[in-house]
Parts: sequence; C-alpha cells; structure tokens
Amino acid sequence: MDDSWQSKDGPDRTDLVSKDGKNNKSVLCQRCGSKVLGPGMALFAEKELFLPSMRKKTSLKTTEGSVDGDTLNAHWLVDDMFSFENVGFTKDVGNIKYLICADCEIGPIGWHCLDDKRSFYVALERVNHA
Amino acid sequence: MDHRYDIPRRAAGGAGGGSANSSPAMGTQSRRRKMPPRPADFKLQIIIIGSRGVGKTSLMERYTDDTFCEACKSTVGVDFKIKTVELRGKKIRLQIWDTAGQERFNSITSAYYRGAKGIVLVYDITKQETFDDLPKWMKMIDKYASEEAELLLVGNKLDCETDRIISRQQGERFASRVSGMRFCEASAKDNFNVDEIFLKLVDDILSKMPLEVPNKELSNSVLSLQPEPEVPPELPPPRMRCC
Repeated sequence: MDDSWQSKDGPDRTDLVSKDGKNNKSVLCQRCGSKVLGPGMALFAEKELFLPSMRKKTSLKTTEGSVDGDTLNAHWLVDDMFSFENVGFTKDVGNIKYLICADCEIGPIGWHCLDDKRSFYVALERVNHA
Repeated sequence: MDHRYDIPRRAAGGAGGGSANSSPAMGTQSRRRKMPPRPADFKLQIIIIGSRGVGKTSLMERYTDDTFCEACKSTVGVDFKIKTVELRGKKIRLQIWDTAGQERFNSITSAYYRGAKGIVLVYDITKQETFDDLPKWMKMIDKYASEEAELLLVGNKLDCETDRIISRQQGERFASRVSGMRFCEASAKDNFNVDEIFLKLVDDILSKMPLEVPNKELSNSVLSLQPEPEVPPELPPPRMRCC
C-alpha cells in the first residue's frame, strides 16, 4: 500500500536542490501535473511537519480525533504565497491552512501556519519534480 | 513592518516587456548562471459572490467530491486559490476567493470587496430567487467594491437546462443595465465555460490597466490571509492616468 515515490530519506536531493538551496526543477502535482512552483522559487527547508494522509476514506477514519498522516521533514519553503504558480489553501484547521493542488485538489501537499505569514511549506514527498 | 514581500520582485524592473522566449522552465537547469525566476507581472484578487446554492464553490473547486483528502475536504473545504494565467504576454497571478457560507448579504466582510479587481456574481438559472437577489448583491458591490472592479454575471447550472427558469435573455438584460458588466452562462458541473470566466475577467481587467505598472503598486491590492473587516487593507492603488 505504501508506495511513496521515494524512500523516506530522499536520496537524490542533490538532483532537486541547487547549490543555493533552491528547487532546480518545477514542482508539480503528483496526480494531475499542475504546476505548483516554478524552478528557483522555493528554498529547501527541513522541518518536522505533520500532514494528514492524501489517501482517502477508509484509512482516514479519525480514531478519536487522531488523523491518519505522515510526519514529513523535507519541504520547499516560500515566503510569499504569490510565489506559487498554482495552489489552493484550505480553510483554517486550528491555526493551520493546508496546501492542496489548485487544479485537482489532491492534498494536503503542504502546510501553512497562520502564526507565521511568511512561511509556506510544500512537502517534497507529496509532489513531483520535473 | 518589514518589506520582505518586496524582495523577490526586485528583479522585475526594466526588463523591457515580457521577454517571451525566456521560459525559465526550459533547459536552463544546467547553466551556471541561472535565469532569475520570472516573477508575476500582475496580481489580481477575484471574488465569487452570489446567493446560497448557486454553485460558487464549484466554480472555484474543480471537483466537488471524491478527489480531495476526505478529512480536509468534508470538514474544511477550500478557502482560496492562487492561479497563474498568461494573457497578452503577461503572467498574472490570481487570488480567487469564494465567499460560500457568507451568503447573507451583509456578512461578507467589506474587505473582500475592497481589494477585488474582479467580481464574479453568480445566480442559478433554475432558481428564480437567486436571480431576484441580484439587485441586493449589486448594492453591496456599489457600496464596497472599487468602481474600477470588473463585473461578470454568471448564470450557472447550464447542465440543468431542463429546469431552467431564468432565460438567457433575462440574464443578458440584467447585465446590460449595469455599466461594464459582462454576462455568460456556465456549468461548473461540466466545467463548461469555467476557465473562460476567469480569463474573460482578467482580460477585461488588463485592458483597463496601463501595461507597465510597477509590481509593487498592484500587490497592495491583495488581501492577506485573514481579512480584518475593521481595518481597510491598504489604500487602493493610485488610479493610473492614461498617458
């Protein structure tokens, strides 16, 4: 079932991250290919963030308030929401807005905390690069 | 406070009208000195308003069920989207807000209206009352929105043609009485005319704008994530004079 496109430790980061720490490639939706970020628009950042699972239904049964999901460490970070080519924001969940694909709405692909208006994270594991 | 939002845009100046062949996505990866990422030329805020149930949300959310993470979708929903379109050689970032859930006329904060460069007013062609509500929405627009905001009237649910109550002519007539208001019919369910709606609106907005406007002035028209009703967002960008 768990077929994430890369192993958790993300081997080929060098392929994705430029010398100045930015994304070498476009960041795309894994399902529909919608362009989330153009090359060079985001910084690689490590931060431990919990994102609810992208899988739906059955696996997502909230067992007494706990949500199925992953703790992810590798992200693309932008400081301005207008750096995105295409992205959707969910309504607030507590003080969090999750980022989703603007076109097919799969998600969450990223995370934004309302307490930090200058940080928008997109999880490397939840997007494609090309 | 600080002006970090301006930083990524510093490269924008001067480049002399959209060097169209410099698509940064193409083949530049291996070059040592990379093209700076191309910033957006314009940022526009668009809001979608209309009575409850007319399909505002479906105009913004392409798929209304079964695609998005159930946990987020059912309980949370989409707040707004950033979309990029290219038109007239310009790259335009749209911030699209759907006001669903705030349908009582006076509950939509005036801040939504104030920053909007484009307003999509939606009714349901199968529901008389949503059409009858239009004058009330117009009052809100007159009261709060910039006079320059482009207006587009959308008769939605074209997929329910058999239940149609409001004729196309009625919609056209309403729009024709409001200066500068455009009209179209659409089906968010079939995705018919939906992308066109935004393109049309953006095209109208652009045609009103002088083409070389510094980015910064326009970025002021954009709402922050949490519009605060009592505080006017920023002064509207200075009116551009022609020549």
